[in-house]
Amino acid sequence: MTDGKNPIYIWVNEERYEKLKELGLDKHTEERLAGMKVLTVYATNEEADRLVKEFGAKHDTSTTGSIELLPPYLKDKIFDKVVEKKSLEVVSDVLKEV
Amino acid sequence: MAEIGHGGKEIKERIMKPDEAKEKIKGLAQVPINKQIANEIIDISYGWFTPLEGFMNKKQVDSVVKDMKLPDGTLWPIPIMLDLSDKEIADYGVENGKSVVLTYQGNPMALLEVEDIFEVDRTEMCQSVFGTTEEKHPGCHRIYNCKDKFVGGKITLLKEPTINEPFGPYFLPPLKMREVIKERGWDRSVAHQTRNIPHTGHEWLMKGAFFQTHNDLPVEKPNVGVVVNAIIGEKRVKDYIDEAIILCQNELQNAGYFGPHNHLTSLTFWDMRYAGPKEAIFHAILRVNLGITHHMFGRDHAGVGDYYGGYEAHHLLESVRDQLDITPVYSMNWLYCPVCAEITSEGLCNHKDQQQKFSGTLIRSIVTDGVKPPRLIIRPEVFDRAMESANKYGAQNSPFVNEEYLETRTPVFDIEPL
Repeated sequence: MTDGKNPIYIWVNEERYEKLKELGLDKHTEERLAGMKVLTVYATNEEADRLVKEFGAKHDTSTTGSIELLPPYLKDKIFDKVVEKKSLEVVSDVLKEV
Repeated sequence: MAEIGHGGKEIKERIMKPDEAKEKIKGLAQVPINKQIANEIIDISYGWFTPLEGFMNKKQVDSVVKDMKLPDGTLWPIPIMLDLSDKEIADYGVENGKSVVLTYQGNPMALLEVEDIFEVDRTEMCQSVFGTTEEKHPGCHRIYNCKDKFVGGKITLLKEPTINEPFGPYFLPPLKMREVIKERGWDRSVAHQTRNIPHTGHEWLMKGAFFQTHNDLPVEKPNVGVVVNAIIGEKRVKDYIDEAIILCQNELQNAGYFGPHNHLTSLTFWDMRYAGPKEAIFHAILRVNLGITHHMFGRDHAGVGDYYGGYEAHHLLESVRDQLDITPVYSMNWLYCPVCAEITSEGLCNHKDQQQKFSGTLIRSIVTDGVKPPRLIIRPEVFDRAMESANKYGAQNSPFVNEEYLETRTPVFDIEPL
């Protein structure tokens, strides 16, 4: 996996989508099922290691390279930080605050 | 009037009166059993396993393994066996012709009249039942890890189990279930086998089966019911917790997507063997005994990994239809189509390149994150109930089984002292 390209998938329902739309970030979402969208932010390898070690996440290195099973509160925090910073570059900020 | 179950045999509960039980077990050896065996004692005693009256003897097991039949010719696909170690047999004095008390949670649960102590060819059994001898198949793993010997004999329940909250209302043994079906006035009923919380794909599987079952019946009055029969048994990490399964299934009725006139939630205690086609037949037998007239079978029913073809269970069911007093209802997958803008069947919609299929992994990911999805994926009431169940019954507020849940959960049932 290329450094900095470990995806974290954040589920986006209608309520969240409206927020992203207001910020012009809706273009970064991708529809998965019946209007449920997903927003992808990326962690560096170092951040991915920390997420696995400190938050019980699993790094799916064999297929998608994605970071799975993050605690819901942490995913909520990542989404809130995207909205706050109006940017997808948020993982390092979130990790500084938790 | 007698209630007739599988194989044309009458369903008779094998449950002793409390005073008689105390008297009967005096002086008998007490043999502890595990949860799987306790589940199966309940199934035998209340008639889920009719015509079985106890754990199988060698003649029955051999017949099931070789011919998928009991010695009297009744269709039966999976051996029902009680395993004990050589040490237990010696220590507790388990012998042919003697009775012993089987205890669960330290309390007397059932009387076993020992008829036979025997060994089996486990490899042959696995090949016959599971179509493989691989240890990694969970059914084979279970057989290979049984204790040294098997003990056959009739079972009588000494004390009815206490079904713990929230499962009580859903414990409907065969005779009770048949009463409820009569009270509801259903001429036909269709069983939905599940171990999931329902998304709308599941909901439409049930709705489709409702229409398939209704077929030529008059429509003036409600006369078809969907009987959700959740399998409650051994849990594995990442399964949905039992409480969420049963409460979320029932929420479809509470929230009006079904109603009491056409929907009933219930449970059966059983550790899945993942025997695919043969387990499909076994599930059909359970539901025959529950008095259900039809049974849904989807793709790869009760399968695991890639051991069975998608429709292998359907083919085996067709080959024994004349021996099963239940009508199979074969279900196609339901999916979301953004062009149709609805949940639709793969057998109906022709927007093949636009269809969005339900995936268990995707749904689990959404539920894990606790982000409420559109009502076209999971009904909001069902999602709320899942989150509520997670907070109330789950470990670390998770709707999924984890190690902590396995260690700390309240048992589904208890056996109290006599």
